[in-house]
Amino acid sequence: MKRSKSMAAVAGAAALFTLAACGGGGGGGDQPQTGGEFQEGGAAGELKDPDAQGPADPIEGAEEGGTLNVLLPLPDEGPTTLDPTAGWSVTDNSILQNLVFRSLTTFKYDYETDEMVLVPDLATDLGTPNEDFTEWTFTIKDGIRWENGDPVTAEDVAFGMKRSMAESADLQGPGTKYSKTYFEGAEDYAGPYVDGEDFPGITVDGSDITIQMSQPFPEMDYWGSFMAMGPVPSGPEGEAPGYGNAPLATGPYKVAEFRSGEILRLERNDEWDPETDASRHQYPDEYVFEFAQDTTSSDQVMLNNTEQSQTTVLTALQGSSYQQATEALGDRVVPASQACTSFWNPDYEKIPEKEVRQALAFAYPYEDAAAAAGEIPGLTRTFGEPILPPGMAGREDYEAIEGETIETDPERARELLAEAGFEPGEYEIRFSFTNSTPEGRAAKEQIETALEDAGFATQAFGYGGSPYDVWTDPDNNIYKELNVRGVAWCSDWPSASTFIPALFETGQEYNTGNFSEQAVDDRIGEISGLPVEEQPAAWADLDRTIRQDYFPTLTLGYLNNLFAYGERVGNFQNDAAQGFPNWRDMYVVPE
Amino acid sequence: MFAFIVKRLLAGLLVLGTLVVSIFVLFWYGPRSPVQGLCEQRTNNRCTSEFRAQLEENFGYNNPMLSELGKYVGGIFTGRDIQLGASTFVECSAPCLGLSYRTFVPAFDELIRRLPATISLAVGAAVIILLVGVTSGVLAARRRGTVADKALVSATLLMSSIPYVLFALLIYLYLNVINEVFPEAGYTPLTENPVAWLSGLLLPWLALGLYNSTQYTRFSRGAMIDALSEDYIRTARAKGLSSRTVTFKHGLRSALVPIVTIFGIDFAFLLAGTIFTEIIFGINGIGRWGLEAIQIEDFPVVQTTVLFGAIVVIVANIVVDILYGVLDPRVRIS
Amino acid sequence: MTLPQAEVQTESTAAPGAPKKAPKAIAGKSPTRIAFDRLRRDWLAMASLVVVLGFAVIAVFAGQIASLLGVSLETPLASERINLISQLPLEGPPFGGYDPEHPFGVAPRVGTDNLAVWLYGARTSMIIASTAAVLSTVVGVIVGLLAGYLGGVVDRVLMFVTDLFLTIPFLLAALALAPILSDRFGTNPERLGEVQFYSVIAVLVIFGWMTMARLIRGEVLSLREREFIQAARAIGVPTHRILRKEILPNLVAPIVVAFSLALPAYVAAEAGLSYLGIGVTDRPSWGQTVAGAVTWFDVYPQYLWQPVIGIVLLVIALNLLGDAIRDALDPKTRR
Repeated sequence: MKRSKSMAAVAGAAALFTLAACGGGGGGGDQPQTGGEFQEGGAAGELKDPDAQGPADPIEGAEEGGTLNVLLPLPDEGPTTLDPTAGWSVTDNSILQNLVFRSLTTFKYDYETDEMVLVPDLATDLGTPNEDFTEWTFTIKDGIRWENGDPVTAEDVAFGMKRSMAESADLQGPGTKYSKTYFEGAEDYAGPYVDGEDFPGITVDGSDITIQMSQPFPEMDYWGSFMAMGPVPSGPEGEAPGYGNAPLATGPYKVAEFRSGEILRLERNDEWDPETDASRHQYPDEYVFEFAQDTTSSDQVMLNNTEQSQTTVLTALQGSSYQQATEALGDRVVPASQACTSFWNPDYEKIPEKEVRQALAFAYPYEDAAAAAGEIPGLTRTFGEPILPPGMAGREDYEAIEGETIETDPERARELLAEAGFEPGEYEIRFSFTNSTPEGRAAKEQIETALEDAGFATQAFGYGGSPYDVWTDPDNNIYKELNVRGVAWCSDWPSASTFIPALFETGQEYNTGNFSEQAVDDRIGEISGLPVEEQPAAWADLDRTIRQDYFPTLTLGYLNNLFAYGERVGNFQNDAAQGFPNWRDMYVVPE
Repeated sequence: MFAFIVKRLLAGLLVLGTLVVSIFVLFWYGPRSPVQGLCEQRTNNRCTSEFRAQLEENFGYNNPMLSELGKYVGGIFTGRDIQLGASTFVECSAPCLGLSYRTFVPAFDELIRRLPATISLAVGAAVIILLVGVTSGVLAARRRGTVADKALVSATLLMSSIPYVLFALLIYLYLNVINEVFPEAGYTPLTENPVAWLSGLLLPWLALGLYNSTQYTRFSRGAMIDALSEDYIRTARAKGLSSRTVTFKHGLRSALVPIVTIFGIDFAFLLAGTIFTEIIFGINGIGRWGLEAIQIEDFPVVQTTVLFGAIVVIVANIVVDILYGVLDPRVRIS
Repeated sequence: MTLPQAEVQTESTAAPGAPKKAPKAIAGKSPTRIAFDRLRRDWLAMASLVVVLGFAVIAVFAGQIASLLGVSLETPLASERINLISQLPLEGPPFGGYDPEHPFGVAPRVGTDNLAVWLYGARTSMIIASTAAVLSTVVGVIVGLLAGYLGGVVDRVLMFVTDLFLTIPFLLAALALAPILSDRFGTNPERLGEVQFYSVIAVLVIFGWMTMARLIRGEVLSLREREFIQAARAIGVPTHRILRKEILPNLVAPIVVAFSLALPAYVAAEAGLSYLGIGVTDRPSWGQTVAGAVTWFDVYPQYLWQPVIGIVLLVIALNLLGDAIRDALDPKTRR
């Protein structure tokens, strides 16, 4: 999934970084130093356990009761709707998938390996594909109930899955990308509200749901972990947008109060049966998520260690508070990976010279721009050359320019520019930046300074709205002016198939540099046809090929969260599959 | 009197009508698609031109502007069903000001829901404004020319010279965030927890109230001085009434007339939404709602908040004019 | 926030053109002369004037002063001056002592020189406030003159428009309008910056002229009935001439007063708009610095206080000066 909400402000800065690992900081004088040591949050969930059964293992020392408060600072405004079909952002998915809605499959935190593991959820196993992955069958467990006590039937689940193909404005979600692409006949089906429930691609037989695919889809089990692959009541109560305000829970918590952009309060769902659930727990009495919080005050809440903050989780500590927070909270400040990469894509047609694109990679001020944008190099942003972020299946490190390490090096940039036949100041880089935030403007100035230092001329275009307006909309006036565009991308699940095609296949919306090579397109097609177990290595290979042979993009770094939590928050873990805290296993430590 | 009220009401309605139409037109012909914000919101910034077109279709932006304006205005009086998806309609009963693009809840319902926070804030601040402002003004007037008087006047002048946004921000940062001198600011409904209501609003009240009271200190001081120099006060004094009685019973009463009138207008502006106070102290009232609506281009909410503000101000103006006539027999309104 | 209001309206200024109760002993002084004398004797007014003039000098010569002090707006690479982990400056405040190269220290995260930003910020504030004040005064005076003198339908229409604008919540409208104004010119980055700058001024003027219009209208209404105007009319002096030669000169005092009180209100308004995210972005401004410095108020308070003190000092000085001018021009005050 695209890193959207919390990135909008920062990515707009023009996005940031590559290389130059932990930027330890050339700190001087007598000011306090903090090493930016990054803790790997475990792999993003490439493991699977089809036999996992409920109930989930109890968490050691965990007790029931209490209220867990969660502060989500701006620009994270939380879900606009709770409709399971529409959920497609880090915040929404993490909260709702973990606590409220069950789906065919889900993830579980494995305490032995510290990794996220794909396990069955509503289905009895991870699904049974046919040989070429064009047909999948899932068997729905007995004993699953809605929050009102009614049983959840296979028909309900099938209805939810059909709903994910709806074209109505309110149901736009990940189904538009996956169900529509892979389910047989989906392109001619506008969802159950328009075309009725007769959809031959999904058939129900007793508790079995069988899905016909229009092309091989070996990752249906991963797609099954999305809320959109879960039940929705078929009557009028399930119609959007009303359902988005008052959905029926199937997970351990149900919605007690929801106001978009303000608050989501979840309370225990007594109809949830732990015996059927291999991954979730139900320790706190309540979860209270407060969205769009003031950044300064939510940081201060954590720093002051008030009674309220003891049971509070903060989902984004500001860089400006990091120093104080590490002093006040110690280990309770947690940098955690989230399987996202930020890119700067030179337009493949407007900057056709590979040397120039490489020169740009040496010119870009990775660390300085990140710092100016409010991030902490080496901590909230780590660096590396591959397109795939750490934790993805098959990912391998490599040198994008053989024998060289890409880092900010104006000298090298000038050499490469000269090799391409350009005088200093001759080649103009035209990029956009977010001009509505001080961070965006500061990052732009850093980029300008560094690029000019490296022999480029620059022209920066300020924009106040979402940076994706100017990066992905060819009709946008600024889009046409740019010869470098950004994009930040997160995986939907730890397979490169949710990453590389969306960014580097010809004509894809988020291929913002308009990269187009027949060889790469062909290879993407071939890999999906390979045996499942060979795919990760093949993707990793393609990752390297794209960078080494064509160099269409600058990897500006992998994005990490900076969480903080209070003294009485028990068992805080990062859910690396979601890139957000693992809400399932937390508890409130009694006073 | 009656004719006067009718005339003023008609003028007010004309103002409101002009506002409704001009905001509608402004959004309709604005440089960006009127559903651009909605589209980004609904798609987590993945707004595509097809989806935008679909939304425009759903929300009637492909129809002639005048007919949509007619529907909108009609909805204010009679309510209407608003189409959201292909087959989903939301009932929006009169007065229907449209559905919030963010929540798809009728904007009027949301307005009513947020009203208590803003009213709480405004009333509390108003009490402080009047108490502090008028008391200090009267006291200063009684001690006119003394050091205390001069100090008070200069202090109010100084305080009102600080831009309010900085005043509130510094109060918040230093009295609430760093040093927890005051309980954490925020709004809890009075009916839910009166203690939390009081403690959460204390600091915002003080910030808003004290800052705005300065004007009243100076104003009531002036009015009081004028009143105390009137002949009837001299008569009262000559009768041998105590200075206290003269000041409060006779002087204050006449001085209050002009104070009440400016206070009416100021109170209306407080009610219309105190954006800075609500933003800085994290209170989900009308002002913050309007601000957020503008940021995400939630046109029906922008329309609603602006109209609400205008109605409050217009009504306050009329009430004040009437009150003025009632309180001060020398004024005859026509 | 509301733009300048009550204070201007509540004090009515007697037309200075008419004979006045001049101080007893001194005869034959013009009202302006008297006002100047009063002002000169008011030490507070003089102190404010000095401060205001000081800021004016800073605004005009920001560049020269900056280079004199050896500071500039030039952006270095952040890592030259900033510890990228703590995001705080390597030298100077908040941890180090006084750094002669950067007397006000450097900004966290980016390392721009604070003094240079402060100086240019003063320029931005002064230019915005004075331009907006001049323009809104011009608009207000024209509307007020026409409405007051012509009366009838013109008056009614103009006053309707005035009331309309007075009922619109200023901040909401400003926030809605500013992006619409600047959105029109997205493709040319140089122009975008300027357009933003002008749209801030435009927004301030659009929602700031009404007070002046009402004030002037009131004055004109009373002037219109005065003998010398009646006389001019009777002998057939054309309307525009009456307006320019007879009425306008008598309005100088209220205009000066209202103008001097509008200035600080606009400085404050610019800061407020910046805090809410609307404002100039292509040049430093105090409001922008404040908005960005809030998160640092705890670890690096100097960074927040520099622009705050700038704004407060300028606004207070302008307000005091405005008050003093009003008092000086008002024959009723007994200073």
